[in-house]
Amino acid sequence: MSKRPTPKGLDPADITALAIERRMTRRGFLVGTGAGLGALALAGCAPSAASAPPATTAPSAAAPSGGASPSASASASAALGDSMTLATWPNYHDPAVLEDFTSATGVAINVQVFGSTEEMEAKIRAGNSGIDVVVPSNYAIEGWVKDTLIEPLDYAKLPDFKKEDWNPLFMDQAFDKGNVVSIPKNWGTTGIAFWSSKVSPALTSWKEFFQAAGSTYKGKALIVDHQISSFGSAAVAMGYSLNTIDPTEMAAVEQMLTALKPQLFAISSDVQPPLRAKDTWLSVAWTGDGVQVVRDNPDDAKYVVASDGGELWIDSYTVAADAPHRDAAYAFLDYITQPEQAARETMFCLFPHANDKATAMVDPAVKDNPVIYPAPDSLTKLEYAVNATYNSPERAEAWARIKASA
Amino acid sequence: MAAAGRAGGNGRRAKRGTAALLALPTALWYLLFLIAPLVVLVVMSVGERSPNGGYAPALTLTQYAALPTRFTPLVNTLGLAALNTAICAIVAFPVAYTLALKVRGTWKLVLVALVVVPFWTSFLIRTYAWMTLLGGNGIPRILSWIGFGDIQLLNTPFAVSLGIVYNYLPLMVLPIYVSLERLDRSFIEASRDLGAGPIATLRQIVLPLAAPGILSGIVLVFIPVMGEYLIPVLLGGGKTYFLGNALADLFLQSRNWPFGSALAAVFVAGMIVLVAGYLAVSRRLVRAGRESSLI
Repeated sequence: MSKRPTPKGLDPADITALAIERRMTRRGFLVGTGAGLGALALAGCAPSAASAPPATTAPSAAAPSGGASPSASASASAALGDSMTLATWPNYHDPAVLEDFTSATGVAINVQVFGSTEEMEAKIRAGNSGIDVVVPSNYAIEGWVKDTLIEPLDYAKLPDFKKEDWNPLFMDQAFDKGNVVSIPKNWGTTGIAFWSSKVSPALTSWKEFFQAAGSTYKGKALIVDHQISSFGSAAVAMGYSLNTIDPTEMAAVEQMLTALKPQLFAISSDVQPPLRAKDTWLSVAWTGDGVQVVRDNPDDAKYVVASDGGELWIDSYTVAADAPHRDAAYAFLDYITQPEQAARETMFCLFPHANDKATAMVDPAVKDNPVIYPAPDSLTKLEYAVNATYNSPERAEAWARIKASA
Repeated sequence: MAAAGRAGGNGRRAKRGTAALLALPTALWYLLFLIAPLVVLVVMSVGERSPNGGYAPALTLTQYAALPTRFTPLVNTLGLAALNTAICAIVAFPVAYTLALKVRGTWKLVLVALVVVPFWTSFLIRTYAWMTLLGGNGIPRILSWIGFGDIQLLNTPFAVSLGIVYNYLPLMVLPIYVSLERLDRSFIEASRDLGAGPIATLRQIVLPLAAPGILSGIVLVFIPVMGEYLIPVLLGGGKTYFLGNALADLFLQSRNWPFGSALAAVFVAGMIVLVAGYLAVSRRLVRAGRESSLI
């Protein structure tokens, strides 16, 4: 169920190239055990990146502008406490960015990593999770608001947040009108990954993908173990909406996938290992898988956004309703949503960012990579998965029946 | 405890107090980690799925009424658990027999230790290793060099069985080994002296005496295999669907906690019946063993 693959192919040279000069120095702000714990948490997060020497490839981002001045932060740090907990995806944050926040404020960030929004939800729904900031995908947010798992954002505590910096494609969306509870982070697509040396002609649509998976490429296709992405993409292939919950349409999709299942290599969210081993030749994949596999095999691997539609997703920062370190959580959001920090995060995680100003600061190698930032035209037919889709018991049961079928 | 005994004065009462005090940790343990979670499970299982997922309090049996929708994974799991437990037993018996009766001294120690060695590495890592071995660049490639053509091993029921037998075999070998180790060898000698062939001796002497060990092995393997989740995911590619996978999906994809709880409650009840049956049978076996040795 891990939606964010670990960057297995990310070699240190890449990280060095992508790392940018740390904007704040650590002098004077290592606050006892807090910083020590933070360092531990970061070390667990991604040691190779944390130890990468600072390079100077992005001077614009390195300019010491914006953000709170260190002295102001130091005086505020007593009120912020010494730690907070961030529930997020694997390899989604640049450890250097989190480290700098700790240096500036004395607040150590305890990072909890989850493989899916559903897993994050299980944790915060159980209550008393200790989690302050959560980064769920778009489709979960409405339900979380209804059950008050997250709180309306107090924008007064986000003085540096500038709405006009953000891409309108991701702001003020149906899942959170007016961005009452959420501020977008990175986004991506659910697309088709394939080996061009094995799959010919090239795949361009979900219709072609599912037809090829059941005929020409028996035993060579993988679909992810996620109702929204796989059932949704199959629905698109049959001409329905990604979000269909119409009983007749769902029955048709279920029938198609049940018949297809014996021909599949696997239903698994661990997309990359079989793809890299060429056990699979074509695969449902998320942006992160596409970016990494294509980067490591630029001549052969392809990741395409389907021409007949599919899923567009966005993860957003939210504050847990029972956040034990609310002030620290807001200080963190105010910091991490600044374009400079957002740009650093983007160059680390290699998912496109919803902040246009951040995108402008991103290294050209990342910004101009069509797998990371696809052409805007290719996105027009994509849909966000809605809460009703995420939440539909009928769709969940249909997916369970497909998985249980022989 | 000694102080409590002295203060109490009455020796017998003090002894009872000491016993109660000694039992306290165990009692707390059972209460906190067995009874309390089971109560939570049962309470949730009569609840409803809240409209946005999770649990909403209720008193209804609708979750239990929906259980037949998980009939396929149940049958899958029962069938595969029985089959793989049987394979484990068939593979483990000769191993245990050799270890207990055929090798001696240092060799015996080393070989018994080797049975346990795989436990030193994480279950997850060992199962991942099989993914590499069974994947297209592993054994299938060697097979195709030899001329077997394009064979898919990973993500097949065969791979799931292999993973289960490989991982659970030690749990079958050890109890059988222990029961054979304790076996009085003079029985075997007497049987041979009285003209019984090796097969008759095995059937009439060794197997009945090893029966308690075999039975323990079966229970030790069958119950965890029934709850197996990881092996079908990693080696079955999500195409072989066990009860454990159905449960995980109910909690982590459908977010239907009450239905998941009902399924888990029924599963736990089934396992309790199984263990009760095992206890009854093993008691009878032990009694029969004692009586036959008196004769």
